[in-house]
Amino acid sequence: MSLVLFLLGAFLAGLLGLGRGSVRRYLVAGALGVLVVTPAFPLVGAVGYLSRETLGPTLLALLPFAPQLALVPLGGLLALALAHFGGRPAGLGGLLGGGLGFLALLTFLQGPAHLVRLKPVPGLMEGAVGLLALLPFLVLAFSQRKRTWLWLPLGLALALGSFLWLNSPQGHTYFPRMEGYYQLVLPAEPGAEEVLVAAYNQGLEDLNRVRQEIGLPPLKPIQDLSGLGEGRLPQEVAQAGYRLLQPQALGYGAVALLLFLGVMAGAGLWLLRNPGLLEAGDLRSGLVLAGVALSVFPAFDATEFDLGKLVKGWPFLVNFLDRAWPPNLAQPASGIYPLQSVASEMLLTVEIALVGTLLAALFALPTSFLAARNLTSKNPVLRLLFYLMRGFYNVDRGVDTLILALILVAAVGLGPFAGVLAMAIHSIADLGKLYSEAIENVDKGPIEALESVGASGSNVLRWAILPQVLPLFVSYTLYRFEINFRVSIVLGLVGAGGIGFFIKGAMDAGHYDQMVIGIIAIVLVVNLIDFASSWLRSRLV
Amino acid sequence: MIEVKNLSKVFPDGTQALSGVSVSIPQGDFVAIIGLSGAGKSTFLRTLNRLVEPTSGEIRVGGVEVTRLSRRELQAFRRRVGFIFQQFNLVQRLTVLENVLHGRLGYLPTWKGLLGLYREEDTALALEQIRRVGLQGKERARADQLSGGQQQRVAIARALAQEPELILADEPMASLDPRLSDVILGILKEYNQEKGVTVLVNIHVLELARRYARRVLAFNRGQLVFDGPVEDLTPEVERRVYAGNLEAL
Repeated sequence: MSLVLFLLGAFLAGLLGLGRGSVRRYLVAGALGVLVVTPAFPLVGAVGYLSRETLGPTLLALLPFAPQLALVPLGGLLALALAHFGGRPAGLGGLLGGGLGFLALLTFLQGPAHLVRLKPVPGLMEGAVGLLALLPFLVLAFSQRKRTWLWLPLGLALALGSFLWLNSPQGHTYFPRMEGYYQLVLPAEPGAEEVLVAAYNQGLEDLNRVRQEIGLPPLKPIQDLSGLGEGRLPQEVAQAGYRLLQPQALGYGAVALLLFLGVMAGAGLWLLRNPGLLEAGDLRSGLVLAGVALSVFPAFDATEFDLGKLVKGWPFLVNFLDRAWPPNLAQPASGIYPLQSVASEMLLTVEIALVGTLLAALFALPTSFLAARNLTSKNPVLRLLFYLMRGFYNVDRGVDTLILALILVAAVGLGPFAGVLAMAIHSIADLGKLYSEAIENVDKGPIEALESVGASGSNVLRWAILPQVLPLFVSYTLYRFEINFRVSIVLGLVGAGGIGFFIKGAMDAGHYDQMVIGIIAIVLVVNLIDFASSWLRSRLV
Repeated sequence: MIEVKNLSKVFPDGTQALSGVSVSIPQGDFVAIIGLSGAGKSTFLRTLNRLVEPTSGEIRVGGVEVTRLSRRELQAFRRRVGFIFQQFNLVQRLTVLENVLHGRLGYLPTWKGLLGLYREEDTALALEQIRRVGLQGKERARADQLSGGQQQRVAIARALAQEPELILADEPMASLDPRLSDVILGILKEYNQEKGVTVLVNIHVLELARRYARRVLAFNRGQLVFDGPVEDLTPEVERRVYAGNLEAL
């Protein structure tokens, strides 16, 4: 597994090098990635007794236990330093750093399970957050030529303040998981593992008697900790701050490290053969690449991305499709008419979208004039209204239709009315913003002309601005209707009626052969409405 | 008709567009205003109906102290002053008739204007002006379907529909084919002679100024450098008008 990942990284670097662009930037990205993963990403798993005692120590935290791992970040540093010299030195650095780091990591990952002792490092996580708060100020201070001195103390004060607050008892009340979050992994006292194994083997006789009574096969005595029952530590040992370190259980940090090291080695090899494959901005582009890669790894881990589950679930999908086809259009004998229901519910969905969009347009029309910068610049009261209107739009845009629907369902009850209200309220902001931008972009000539004939302000609005923006307004409203139709399908799922409600009902009841009619209807109507609306809009403007 | 005293305009960016301009123009005159671009011709014309607010100075038009008018009074004043723009400034999506009827908005109560409830005599007047500028048959055409020359004639008809006592035209031919200049200026000249309405036209073609105007005002860097009958516009004066102004181009 480890070797595969490493080779995959090298292969990736090789593929990227085929484009004859700079290879050094991949080397830099790999080295930077290694340096960030080292203190930040969990390398392997370590379990206690309870599942919440499981933790993933980083490479940095593992250093007291496995000092040879220091070769990994050192290799990254070496590659980064040599990359500066370009060509062959950089290639050599990449190959050496990547290769050495990989070997060091491999020896660790292949090792057996060990009992380790945890030692919390207070204030480390809090300090990291403080430094993170400083980062934008550093960027501000060093990217601008002027007023550098002003940003630095401000950022330092904020960083120090947030560190002190987070590290105080009050901070630890609000963010309890931050206290002692970062823990060093130390080797357990010599002989502790043997004591544990002996204790386990001693208690085995009692355990096996119990297991026999409830019909489970008996467990065998173990030689070392790798075979510890179901991979968990005894409760009292875990509570004393011990964990069972399992190098075979790769964390996403290990996956990232192996890939990065592979990229480093692969890019190094390329550079050795073609020393010319480098460009001036490699450090910067390497930074960007590393940033993207680094943000992706934790995200995949957090979303529990696992193709294995899909493979396992495949038969269920096939079974679902089997039961969904052929569609059950009508069963007059039992008085069930799904096709009729789909048609009626689909109509309701379209009607929700129509009413919601129309209401939103009615409210957005007058308010958008107040939200247009060019119409409100002349007097302070209007300016205030402008800011109020824009503020309302921004808040309203942030609250999604579905969330509004959940709240309104509680207020006015289940049914299409809640959905219509939610849709109208949310769409006001979207339409209002589009409308007001259209108003801001009108041709100023006619406004001046109407002012010069002595027309009053409202007449200027009516005759100079409205004719210009009205086709745009209609076009935006149609576009919003397209979106609202799709929103209204999902609204049914939260109880606002319509085709979504039908589909949820059929799904819950296991009537897949009825649900599939709804899905087909949605595909057809979505495309139909999109087509009709874009045709209309193309004729308008 | 027009009395201007010590008129100055400084734009927010510090540009001195007009400095100490004083001029008096009698009723029924046809005045050409010449000068290079950036000399202040346009600003001068626009201060006369306060499309541009003057910084200091006095403006009297037909006995009205223009600089002191309130919003409402200004609207009532502007309806008697026709303004013709270089870029026509028509509402493109409306018809010729609707655009010309805009000239009557100042005479209607606001709510009638909003609903487009023009009186019968307003429509008759608008149709008469459309005929005058030679666009009969085009009343129902949309403005954006017309050629540039036709659009400018619609704009003139809009100004004439105001039954103005004063017409201000800001380079009305500059965006058009030079051959159309005679059409545009011809209409203005004819109206000037028929109704005795005062006309001020910004022109940058001297030859046209000589042919149509009775009187010439010349600006150079915001200052009035010549004011007199068109016959006095000697080559020596011309040199003075266009002197030292090349960087302004």
